[in-house]
Amino acid sequence: MITLSHYLLISAALFSLGIMGVLTRKNAVNVLMGIELILNSANINLVAFSRYSSNGIDGQMFAIIVIVVAASEVAVALAMVLTMYRLLRTVNLDQADTLKPTCKVCATSIPN
Amino acid sequence: MSASDIIFLIVAVVTVGSAAIVVLSRSLIYSAFSLLFTFFGVAIIYVYLGADFLAGTQVLIYVGGILVLLLFGVMLTHRLYSLNLRTETFQVIPGFLIALAVFISLALVSTRTNWHVVADKPLVPTTDTIGTLFLTEYLLPFEIASILLLVALIGAAMLVRRRADI
Amino acid sequence: MQSLRYFYPELTLIVAMLLVVIADISFKRLRSVLNPLLTIVSLLLAAYFTAYINHSQEANLFLGMLALDSFAQFFKLFLLLAAFLVVLGSLQSEELSQVHQGEFFALLLAVTLGMLLMANSINLAILYLSLELVSLTSYIMVGYLKGDRLSNEASLKYILFGAISTGSMLYGFSLIYGMTGSLNLYTIRDAFLSQGVQGFDQFTTLLALVLALAGFGFKTALVPFHFWCPDVYAGAPTPVTAFLSVAPKAAGFGILVRFFFSGMTQTTGSEWGLVNGINWPLVLIGISVLTMTLGNVAALTQNNLKRMLAYSSIAQAGYILMGSVVLTGEGLKSMLIYLFVYLFMNLGAFLVVTIIYNSDKSFEIGDYNGMFKRSPFLAFAMGVFMLSLTGIPPFAGFLGKLYVFLAVIEKGLIWFAVVGTLNAALAAFYYMRVIKAMVLEEGNGNVAPLQVSFLNQALLVALLIPNLLLVFFWNPIDRWTASSARLFGGL
Repeated sequence: MITLSHYLLISAALFSLGIMGVLTRKNAVNVLMGIELILNSANINLVAFSRYSSNGIDGQMFAIIVIVVAASEVAVALAMVLTMYRLLRTVNLDQADTLKPTCKVCATSIPN
Repeated sequence: MSASDIIFLIVAVVTVGSAAIVVLSRSLIYSAFSLLFTFFGVAIIYVYLGADFLAGTQVLIYVGGILVLLLFGVMLTHRLYSLNLRTETFQVIPGFLIALAVFISLALVSTRTNWHVVADKPLVPTTDTIGTLFLTEYLLPFEIASILLLVALIGAAMLVRRRADI
Repeated sequence: MQSLRYFYPELTLIVAMLLVVIADISFKRLRSVLNPLLTIVSLLLAAYFTAYINHSQEANLFLGMLALDSFAQFFKLFLLLAAFLVVLGSLQSEELSQVHQGEFFALLLAVTLGMLLMANSINLAILYLSLELVSLTSYIMVGYLKGDRLSNEASLKYILFGAISTGSMLYGFSLIYGMTGSLNLYTIRDAFLSQGVQGFDQFTTLLALVLALAGFGFKTALVPFHFWCPDVYAGAPTPVTAFLSVAPKAAGFGILVRFFFSGMTQTTGSEWGLVNGINWPLVLIGISVLTMTLGNVAALTQNNLKRMLAYSSIAQAGYILMGSVVLTGEGLKSMLIYLFVYLFMNLGAFLVVTIIYNSDKSFEIGDYNGMFKRSPFLAFAMGVFMLSLTGIPPFAGFLGKLYVFLAVIEKGLIWFAVVGTLNAALAAFYYMRVIKAMVLEEGNGNVAPLQVSFLNQALLVALLIPNLLLVFFWNPIDRWTASSARLFGGL
């Protein structure tokens, strides 16, 4: 018997893997893949709850909206990545750190 | 365990497994292609949940659009002979620990919470309902989504065009 | 369909955006005049419609997607005003003059539209969609200078961090959907209130709230979701930075208040009650303290003025958040007042930065030395803005801090107000540093007087007046924000 918990566990796994991908990857396109995993996990949650927790299909509508947003986000992100590649010849986030502060003790940018 | 349950189990393993490959693989191309399997797996899960239209949309847009874009991104930003990516080991451990902590909390949440449950519904085709909803209750998100797409179009086009002035 | 009557402001912006896009392709010679003109006219028209539409009856638009109330009206007017001021300030920016500006105005209109929708949203779907519309457009605006690697780097970091935060927020929303079966904030609140939250569900709800806070905190740059802020503020074109520091931040606070107060709190009656067992104010108190302190401490060591202002705006967000934890109408009102004065202080500071960059091409505080001799007007203006940000009377910033601290003290959280005051004192160090550089230090060699164009002069005066006079004419603001906060009762 497949219950709600099974779906939620799958999405929990995808979410955690997405988080790990985002935290450990240096290549910008790889980080984008991690972000897509996060969005997909949230979508699975929404559709599962739409089936088990609500009387309409609101969750599915929300999921469609999320897919649209994800597509636009990837388009813009890749445009930015391509621009970066044109300027720097690399998409390694480690090497794109010219915005570091002049002092050493300030809070730094996103962990890479 | 019925046949459909066994298939669900296989799909779940494939989805999570390929997601793991996306995150852990050292080669960018392997990551991209494992993402393909993840997206397909998610689409099949949608079918199990009765979201037939959504499953089709997932395949069309995620696999046919987003994944292709990601592959473009991979191909256009690398010299072809150096497609391998090495991640430094010391960073994988904290990332893995955080992800593990996140997974444990979410797993507990998934299984122990009293979700708001309603009576079991039969699985019906949803395309009709979705179409109607987008023109009635969800009209505003529908229109704003089109503005969002227009903005993404303008932005992406502006960023990658080469000539300084049109 | 009848909702369209109340949708005129947003419709104006949509039409204007489409017109700007078309004008940009069609009229090659007129477009540098036509685009800003269209933008400004549409913003004014939208503001007129917003003021004209009767917001006092609380209605739902589009079958429960948007709310039509005075709280929304405050934010809509605020955001339109912010966009208007930023458009004027961007007209003579050196950074933007080198790139094609047509899309800039279209994007600005789109982001304003998104923010207007954010201020209204009561359905999680439209909330997410409008938040993403704002975010996506901001990503593009930050990376607008595509030849500049700093701008591009800032934008990429913004995109990645933003996508992670909003993705986590989406996951949190899905958990809330699972617990209540609905996406409408009011239904969610009723579900929480009626069934209560027992046992393990409390952990789930808290987790969902923290995840949702990831998205809200990202938009308002609260700790620990602030990491993108210094880099993005430093790399983006200065008018865009100015815009980001006031408008999306305010919109983020709008949805934060709506989410927590309409979705999680019982606001009927004079005593506001928390849904059983979910002590979200405690979480917000912690975040507020962290945000204030980290922002102020980090700002002390910055030499780049834009980075310093970034940390300063992070700290200011901490002060604003203070008003939300006390669960009173006074607290909400104080948040709105602080936002209002913050608009003029921060935009003024960034305008001065833009003007000085136009001639000196530098953002370093060291290069501001001796500015008083070169342009006493600029130094005076910057002095007022810095003192206002510090919160010293008789400038408007003092008003904002006063209201927030009073609201907190009224509820008995005196230690919280003390922390705020200490932070303000700490902040004085870096604000004064700028004034000291401009007035007391010797110039570095460039002693030519700095000409400020007429438009910029007028704009500076327009921003200075509220800073100087609001302390004496605070009653109208008090009444306006009180009526806006009245939506949630308790006033």
